[in-house]
Amino acid sequence: MHRPFAGWTGLALLLPALLMVGLLFVYPLGFSLAYAFRNEQTGGWDLTNFAKAFDLYGRDIALTAGVTVLSTALVGVLAIAIAGYITLGENPRAVKALRWIYRWPLFIPFVVAAQLMRTFLAKNGMLNNTLMSLDLVEPLQAISLLDWRGVVITFVWKQLPFAALLISGAMAAMDRSLMESARGLGAGRLRILIEIVLPQVQATVWVSLILSFVTMLSALSVPMMIIAGTPTLLTVDMAWRVNSYGDYGVANALGFVSFAMSGLAAWFYLRQGMREGGLPK
Amino acid sequence: MKLLRRTLVVSVALALGSLAGTANAQVTLNVISGGSQNMVDYVTDYLGPLFEKQNPGVKVSVVGTGPDDAGSQKMMEKLQAQKSAGMATWDTDVIVPNQQKTGEMVRDGLLLKYRDSIPTGKYAVSQSAKMALGVDVDGYVMPMFESQTALAYNPDLIKNPPASYDELRSFVAKNPKAFGYNGIKGGMSGVAFVVGWMYAYGGNAQAVQQGPYDAKMSAGWQKAFADLKSFNQQVVFTPGNAGTLDMLNRGEIAMGPVWVDMFQTWKAEGRLPPNMKLKILSPGMPGQPYYYAIPAKARNVELAKKFIALATSPQVQAEGIVKRFNWYPGIDANVVKPALDTKTWNQLFVDVTPADLAKNAKPFPLAPYFKDLREQYESQVQN
Repeated sequence: MHRPFAGWTGLALLLPALLMVGLLFVYPLGFSLAYAFRNEQTGGWDLTNFAKAFDLYGRDIALTAGVTVLSTALVGVLAIAIAGYITLGENPRAVKALRWIYRWPLFIPFVVAAQLMRTFLAKNGMLNNTLMSLDLVEPLQAISLLDWRGVVITFVWKQLPFAALLISGAMAAMDRSLMESARGLGAGRLRILIEIVLPQVQATVWVSLILSFVTMLSALSVPMMIIAGTPTLLTVDMAWRVNSYGDYGVANALGFVSFAMSGLAAWFYLRQGMREGGLPK
Repeated sequence: MKLLRRTLVVSVALALGSLAGTANAQVTLNVISGGSQNMVDYVTDYLGPLFEKQNPGVKVSVVGTGPDDAGSQKMMEKLQAQKSAGMATWDTDVIVPNQQKTGEMVRDGLLLKYRDSIPTGKYAVSQSAKMALGVDVDGYVMPMFESQTALAYNPDLIKNPPASYDELRSFVAKNPKAFGYNGIKGGMSGVAFVVGWMYAYGGNAQAVQQGPYDAKMSAGWQKAFADLKSFNQQVVFTPGNAGTLDMLNRGEIAMGPVWVDMFQTWKAEGRLPPNMKLKILSPGMPGQPYYYAIPAKARNVELAKKFIALATSPQVQAEGIVKRFNWYPGIDANVVKPALDTKTWNQLFVDVTPADLAKNAKPFPLAPYFKDLREQYESQVQN
C-alpha cells in the first residue's frame, strides 16, 4: 500500500490552508453571525437588531428574495436554451456564432455591467431610443427600467454565460448515441432536449443555478447603481447601515438573513451532491 | 554567455535605478482622501506635483477611499485600528475627511491639533472651521473647500424656477415627474434635499443646526415626513448624484438637486447642456466642507503641516480649488479674490451669488439629529 502523506505530514501540509480559511473566513463569519444578536445599548444579547432590520427593510428582504429567485429561474431557462442549441443545433454557422458570442459577458465585471445598463435602460437611454426610432414605442410611453427590472436584466445578462458554459459542457460530454437514436425515431429537437438531454445533465444545471443564485445575492454594485430610490436589495442596505450610521448590529442582522438565503441554496447543493453518491463537485 | 551578460547589465541597471530612486525620493507623504474621484485627481494631478516640485526628495502618494460617510468611515477605521494596536507611528500623514467623521475622529482623539502652527491657519475663518456638525474641531482642521447643494434646472423648460420649497411643491403638483432626486441612499445631493425639506417644514431648523441635541426634538417631524412621502409620489428617483446629472442631461427630468462643483465641472466638460442653471431654494439647502487634518501619530508631521499650508495658501486655493475644480474656497474668500481674475471669480458666482450663499447656504444637522432624520426618513417615508 502506498500512503503518500500519512498522519502529521498530511496535517502540516493542510495547516496553511486551514488557517487561511479559519482566520479569513470562518472567524469573521462566526463573529458577524453572533454579533447580529448583540444589543450595543444594553450590552446583552437579544433580537433588537432583527426587529429593526425587518421593520425598516422587510420589503427589501422580500424584494431580494424575489429578484434573485426570478433571475435564477430566467438564467436557468435561457442557459438551457443556449446550451441546447449548441448541442443539438443543425446550422453549423449559427452554432459557431452562438458559441463565440454567448461568453462575452463572462469577462465583464458586475460594476461595468451595471454602468452599461444604467445608460442602456434609462428612460431616454439606448434601448428606448432604438425602440422609438423603430416606431415600436411612442416617446411618451417610454419608461425607465432602472428599478428591480433593471437589476433582473443585468443579473441575467451577466450570469447567463456562466450557467450556459457549465451546462453546454455537460451536454457535450454526453453520449450522443441516445440523441441520435431518438432523432432516428422521429423525435423533435425540443423533445430530445427536454426528455433526453436535460435529465442527464440535471445535476450540472442545479449546480450552476445555485452558484449563480449565491453570486447574485452578494452583488452590491448592481443594485447600488441601477435601483433609483426604494425598495432596494439587502446588500445596499447593509452598506448603508455601516457607512451612514456605523451600525454593524443591524447590518449583521441583514447579513444573517442573507446567509440564511444562501444557506438554503447550499443545502440544496449538498443534497444534490449526496444524491449523486459522493461529495459535491 | 550573451544572455548572462544581458542579465547582468539589466540587474546592474535596476540596482542603479533603485539607488537613484532612493536618492531622489527619501520621504513619502501618505495622503488619504475621501470624496469623489475628482478629489483624488486634485492631489494626483495638481497639488501633489506642486508640492513635490517645491520639496525635492518628497513623494506624495494619495489613495481615495470614496465619497460620503462611507469613504471617511474607512479612514477612521484605519486610524482606529492603528491606535488600538498601540503603534508608535501611524502610516498616514494627511487625511481629507468629511464633516461628520471628522467630528468623530476629533472626539476619539485620532487627530492632531495643528492649525495654529501653520502660517495659513489665520485664514480659517468660516464657521465650519470651528464646529463640525456640533463637535468642536477648532484647531484640528483646515477647510479644503466648501461645497454647496443647489437645484439645477433647464431654463428652456422652466422659465420661472421655484425659489423656495413651497414654490417647488406647487410646481411639482402641477408638473409631476419633472423633478427628480436620488433619495437618501444614493449620495449626498439627495440627502441634502431632504435636510433642506426638514429645515423648511420640521419646525426646529435652528436647534437642529446649532444644538443642543434633545431626542424630544426629533419626535415632532411626522407631519413634515408625511408631506414628503406624498411629494415623493410625484417625483422621479434618480440613481445617485451622477444619476441626477445624467437624467438632467438626457432630458428625463427638468430639475433636481446637485452639488454645485459637480454641476460646474460636468458643464465645463460638455456633459450637461451649457444653458443649465442653478438656484438655492430658500429657506436653505445644506453644504459641507472637506477638511485637511493630520492623524495624531503621523510619521511626517512637519511635512504634513507644510503640505497643508501649501494647500490652503491663497494662490493654491485660487488656482486649484476655484479655477480648476469649481469649488468655493475653504479659506477666507477675501484673501482668495485678489489671486483670481475677475472672470473666473464671476463665473463661480454667476447663478448663485455670494448674497444667496450668505442667506441660504446651511450646514448639515448635528450628527445625532442627522442620524434621527435619516432613520425617520427610512421608516416613515420609504416604508
